[in-house]
Amino acid sequence: MEYVIQQAINALSVGGEYALLALGLAIVFSIMNLVNFAHGELITLGGYAMFFAAATFVGNPVLLLPICVLTAVVAAMLFERIAFRPVRNAPATTGLLTAFGVSIVIQNALVIFVATRPKPVPVPSWMQGTMSFGGFNLPVVQILETGATVCAVAGLVLLLTRTNLGLAMRAAAKDFTVVRLMGIQANRVILGAFAVSGFLAGLAAVFILARRGAVDPLMGFTPVLKAFVACVLGGFGSLLGAAAGGLVLGILEVVLQATLPSDVAGFRDAIVFLLVGAALIWRPTGLLGTRAELGDKE
Amino acid sequence: MDLVRQTLLRTLIPAAILVAIAILVMRYGQPYQIRVGYVFFINLTMVVGLQIFMGNSGTASFGHAAFSGIAAYTVAILMTPLMLKRTLIPDAPFNLDQVVLGPIPSIILALLVTGVVAYVVGLAISRLKGVGAEIGTLAFLVIVHVVFTNWIELFRGPRAFYGIPIISNLWWGLGASIIAVFVAKLFRDSKYGVQLRASSDNMLAAKAMGVPVDRLRLIAWTLSGIVVGAGGVLLATNLGTIAPTSFYFNQTFLMMAMLLLGGMRSVSGAVCGTIVIALGSEITRTLESGPVLLGIDFPEMFGLTGFFLGAVIVLVMAFRREGILAGEEFEDIWDDMTRRLRRDKAPAAALDER
Repeated sequence: MEYVIQQAINALSVGGEYALLALGLAIVFSIMNLVNFAHGELITLGGYAMFFAAATFVGNPVLLLPICVLTAVVAAMLFERIAFRPVRNAPATTGLLTAFGVSIVIQNALVIFVATRPKPVPVPSWMQGTMSFGGFNLPVVQILETGATVCAVAGLVLLLTRTNLGLAMRAAAKDFTVVRLMGIQANRVILGAFAVSGFLAGLAAVFILARRGAVDPLMGFTPVLKAFVACVLGGFGSLLGAAAGGLVLGILEVVLQATLPSDVAGFRDAIVFLLVGAALIWRPTGLLGTRAELGDKE
Repeated sequence: MDLVRQTLLRTLIPAAILVAIAILVMRYGQPYQIRVGYVFFINLTMVVGLQIFMGNSGTASFGHAAFSGIAAYTVAILMTPLMLKRTLIPDAPFNLDQVVLGPIPSIILALLVTGVVAYVVGLAISRLKGVGAEIGTLAFLVIVHVVFTNWIELFRGPRAFYGIPIISNLWWGLGASIIAVFVAKLFRDSKYGVQLRASSDNMLAAKAMGVPVDRLRLIAWTLSGIVVGAGGVLLATNLGTIAPTSFYFNQTFLMMAMLLLGGMRSVSGAVCGTIVIALGSEITRTLESGPVLLGIDFPEMFGLTGFFLGAVIVLVMAFRREGILAGEEFEDIWDDMTRRLRRDKAPAAALDER
């Protein structure tokens, strides 16, 4: 029983992590048709900010957590300002390739200026432990992560439904031109979307780093790849689809991890992707995606 | 047949450039330059192969490096002498540790295997559109990499597979890349290529005109997979040693930078971009090792090549989205130039008549 509960909370936390990342990708994509390949680098940069802050002026590991999130937000906004603004109205492939380039630049800049080897990141010791919950021992990180995901998604829903900016974002996903005709500044909406996506990535980064305990230049790739797959599975551009896709992917992964015999466990990611691929053959536009019709936003 | 003849003619310009490069390298190059030249032709074959899919369908593919890996490993497993195989992969499935084939059948089989894999994967990829397809190719790259590194009985896992007979040289590379250019041009100018390019400009309109978009994407994907596979064969049969990392991210973004810089819409763009990046990355590689230039001692900087490749992609996308050649072929540029010359003369002639 304890094992089942542990695996369930594990699945929720992994799924939550993917959902946070996938939501960040989806919110940017829905507004400006950009697949942010460099989303994973927000995690990496957040991690390095923690590393440098710990090495220089921050003694208390708890203070490192907001630094990580803040760095991710600022980095996301800088990416938009510097790299993505020139390709704003370009086709999706152009944006994707630009972001791919940005991701390579950041990875290699970190290789050049910091190091290839992983650097340790201190996290508060209470995050590493387990807590007993209704008689079961569960890892604190996973419970926090599940909780944080729920809070973040709730906050996102409030932002999207209760604020002007959120309304503008949702409208921009349908038709940006009309939004701009209503007197809303395009730059503000897009910058807002990047800030939100950076915040979600930073939040996920905190938990990813708490698990790994170290940061290296290439660490952002695997999580963001999973987030991509979650987005495609849910239907690209749909926020609900991204969250659902992330959750399904996380659950699938944990189930396979728990049931696969050890000699094929290394193939887990390949099996997950193949299953997702099979699902997409059945529904090419994703679980919650819609078919493009003539005249739709392209 | 007419198309084949015309394409042969149109291949002459890039072929002449490539032959010139090969002769130059072989005549004046030290062993190191010859090696660089060979790698150039390998990359060129792969980039031209990648162009067949990306240039015609307009869909980016991050997965093609996997095809070069599949072909390279097939050649390696089929061609490596039995003695060596007994120590490298003693538990290979399907009794592959007891089979050894000559170079030609191995290469043909490798291309065949790559083609079959490409076709099967293509069945899924060609159904997805736009961003979904692009991420599908990325997932494919990761799947193949996971299989290479985890199927230890067949691929030796993350360790290198060595002892592959070294049979190819620079002339093989030259021949393969010229054939690749010819195939790519033939496809681009064929009915299929034209229809597929139309669909990349406007998918719904092309569909409405009766273009079988999915099938054409599948054909382009499979064909380009085989050509990229030929590049993998060259790599395996010249280096003699391969490892899964040779067919993963670094190769992917190297190919991507080469293709995008030249302009993915034309075969000539692929050739052009490969030449420029090959020269450029030689320079950055020298800088990376921390040389002493003009009396200044530069520090070692690993990652510089990657940094520049990424920067090239970002800058090209921001400032010259269509690449150096902007989707034109060499012969288009040639035609333009001659036409402009003629036009410059024409008014003068008209004045004379008056």
